[in-house]
Amino acid sequence: MIVEMKRLMLVAHKADEANILKALQDIEAVQVLSISDEEKPSDALDKVELRGAKLTYSLEAIKPYAKKAGMLSPRREETLQEVMDRIDAGVELSGVLEDLVRKKNNCRAEQEKNFSLISALRPFENFPYPMEKYVQQKHVHFFLGLVAQKDVPLLQAQDYLSIELYSEGSTVSALVACHEDDAKNASSFLKSIDWTDVVFPKMEGTPRAAMKLLQDRNEELEKLILEITEQIKAHAQSSAIIEDAADATRIERDRLKAATELKRTMATFALEGWVRTDEIEKVQSAIEKVTDAFNLDVRDPNEDEIPPSVVKNNKFVTPFEQVQTLYSRPTYGGIDGTPFMTPCYVLLFGLMLSDAGYGLLLMLGSWLYIKLKKPTGMSGGISRVLYWGGLSTIVWGVLLGTFFGLSLKEEIGLFPLWFDPMTDSMTMLALCFGLGIVHILFGYVLKMKVAFSKKDWQTAIFDALSWIFIISGLVMYMLPLLGIALPEVLSKIGLGMALVGAALILLFKGRGKKNPFKRTIAGFGELYNISSVLSDILSYARLFALGIATGVIATVFNQLCAMLMGGSGILKILGILIACVLLVALHLFNVAINTLGAFVHCARLQYVEFYGKFYEAGGREFTPLGYRTKHIQVTK
Amino acid sequence: MDGTVLATLGAALAAVLAGIGSAIGVGIAGQASAGAVSENPELSGSCLVLQLLPGTQGIYGLLIAFVIASGAGLLGGGAAITVQQGWRYLFAAIPIGFGGLLSAIYQGKVAVAGINMVVKRPDQSGKAILQAIMVETYAVLALLISFLLVTGI
Repeated sequence: MIVEMKRLMLVAHKADEANILKALQDIEAVQVLSISDEEKPSDALDKVELRGAKLTYSLEAIKPYAKKAGMLSPRREETLQEVMDRIDAGVELSGVLEDLVRKKNNCRAEQEKNFSLISALRPFENFPYPMEKYVQQKHVHFFLGLVAQKDVPLLQAQDYLSIELYSEGSTVSALVACHEDDAKNASSFLKSIDWTDVVFPKMEGTPRAAMKLLQDRNEELEKLILEITEQIKAHAQSSAIIEDAADATRIERDRLKAATELKRTMATFALEGWVRTDEIEKVQSAIEKVTDAFNLDVRDPNEDEIPPSVVKNNKFVTPFEQVQTLYSRPTYGGIDGTPFMTPCYVLLFGLMLSDAGYGLLLMLGSWLYIKLKKPTGMSGGISRVLYWGGLSTIVWGVLLGTFFGLSLKEEIGLFPLWFDPMTDSMTMLALCFGLGIVHILFGYVLKMKVAFSKKDWQTAIFDALSWIFIISGLVMYMLPLLGIALPEVLSKIGLGMALVGAALILLFKGRGKKNPFKRTIAGFGELYNISSVLSDILSYARLFALGIATGVIATVFNQLCAMLMGGSGILKILGILIACVLLVALHLFNVAINTLGAFVHCARLQYVEFYGKFYEAGGREFTPLGYRTKHIQVTK
Repeated sequence: MDGTVLATLGAALAAVLAGIGSAIGVGIAGQASAGAVSENPELSGSCLVLQLLPGTQGIYGLLIAFVIASGAGLLGGGAAITVQQGWRYLFAAIPIGFGGLLSAIYQGKVAVAGINMVVKRPDQSGKAILQAIMVETYAVLALLISFLLVTGI
């Protein structure tokens, strides 16, 4: 059911603004709309956003060391006051962490620098003089550099040069000296051979001593880094404080953001927003607790205002709203498909997964997940959907399927209660198409319902009822042709219904058009849609195919493992051990991949084949001002 | 010559063609999702689902290969089948072989596009999955036909 929304306008004293916003955030009932005419962003908001960014940064920094929350542990529950009180401690801690991280990064940078110095000095390891002594003399010119081994003889052949070599290998480090008068000659000669100039870094002592110094420094740095890492690790134990502070900052930021949407005069402010009709009183009493000097005006939405769509359903149906949301929210004036889709979803999901053992596994798994993790939102909805899907899978598995791939009919003569799709594939196909036809007809019935609720009886009769006549009439007419005995009169009635339906479409599809010729053309065009209805029905063959994919693959896995156990002596024992591990792993894999398959294919049948008939997609999300936290659950 | 050679070829074709398709599809989707996750690690869940989708064709191929193998007695212990039966097994493998090969590749491409969409609009992952599932339909239909053909022999 789509909840009726109202437009709310609140005017109150500026002095109460902060408290009123706090109260509204606490009840999570009002989506604040922007009516502000101020251009400048709020300084307070900037400050809070900066703080949030810093907290998130330090959370990232300690993430590798922090205690991981278990997959199944629920979010921590805390009251608003507890969370807010932790802001200061969190900011302080994150400041400390920020310093530590900066220090660590500095150490790393220095290490990098030293490493590159060391590798630059390495060719001159045997250079015997202190580097600071190496300066150009008055009458002697020095060249320091690397020369290719093949050019060394060339270098030695120049008799005006004096040469010292310090290393071996394909490039050789060398010091070349000459008289200042020959410096130009020497320089151009060096350019002609494979020579690279080298400049010593500004360090003292021989290169060997300098390298030792740098290496020692790096070892020191490494120790320092380890020390800092230990400190960060120690702080990581209290990551909960920063998480709380980050969530508190989020709460504050949302409230300040809402404050920027308000319109203000000298003494008052105005807030405009959407509220659910059934929550107006809640809003009223929340504000009354803050002040009695306010004016709350609630009205119906205007034509040009599109309210957000909120759906409300009973406890069983509510989780399936998430399946609908995955597709699209309903338009505000449309219909909420969830209550109608839910039974179809459960029914078809089970037929696709179709293995009683897997159903049991899925049901237990999602039950445990719900009990331990207490998920909310999307994951909460989907885990509950899987829970009911698991139940339906058990039922279908008992009726026609298998138990972990075992055909229990052969083992103990129990399953399947109804028929075995592996041997009776035509019956199975008929079952799938039959369910499909019912599903599609249900879609058309809902289209009629929507049309009637909008008092558009023409759409209901000519566009929906006509198709119901055609589809059900053709089915009744065709059944005897497929060898299913029906009283002859029924099949005649069926043919009649189909003809009436077709006539309705031919005559009235183009009811907007005056020209009878164009009208008939429009009718023929619509009648051609019979092919799309046919493909819709055939699409339900996937129910059978996915059932095969689960059951037969499970059987394949069982047979593989049975082969492993087929050895003799020690091989047999080994085989049994491996097979046991393998069986668990393979079946878990199979249940995971087929649950995914069943979930999405079943969703597709709802979205395309079912919703396609009546659903109006494109509603907006209702995002009331509230506590949108990431790490904790705010309790009242 | 009895029909087992042909039946073996059929089983091999079903597994290998559909397997190649899935490998390509999952491969390209995996590359895209690695890029997406490096940008935003929180997307790994929905990216993983999208990457897995083109993987099912390989499983369907394996399934048909196994059904053929056990039906034709290739796993040992079965009576020899005739040449005509062998040909029928071979042809029965064609729908899932080629249907799986091509649908997995194209599904992989749609999954890549879907992952790119999820990077920009993380809240729209449901639609990305739905788009990829549209392609899978044809692999599912091919599987069904292959299965019916094999069991009919």
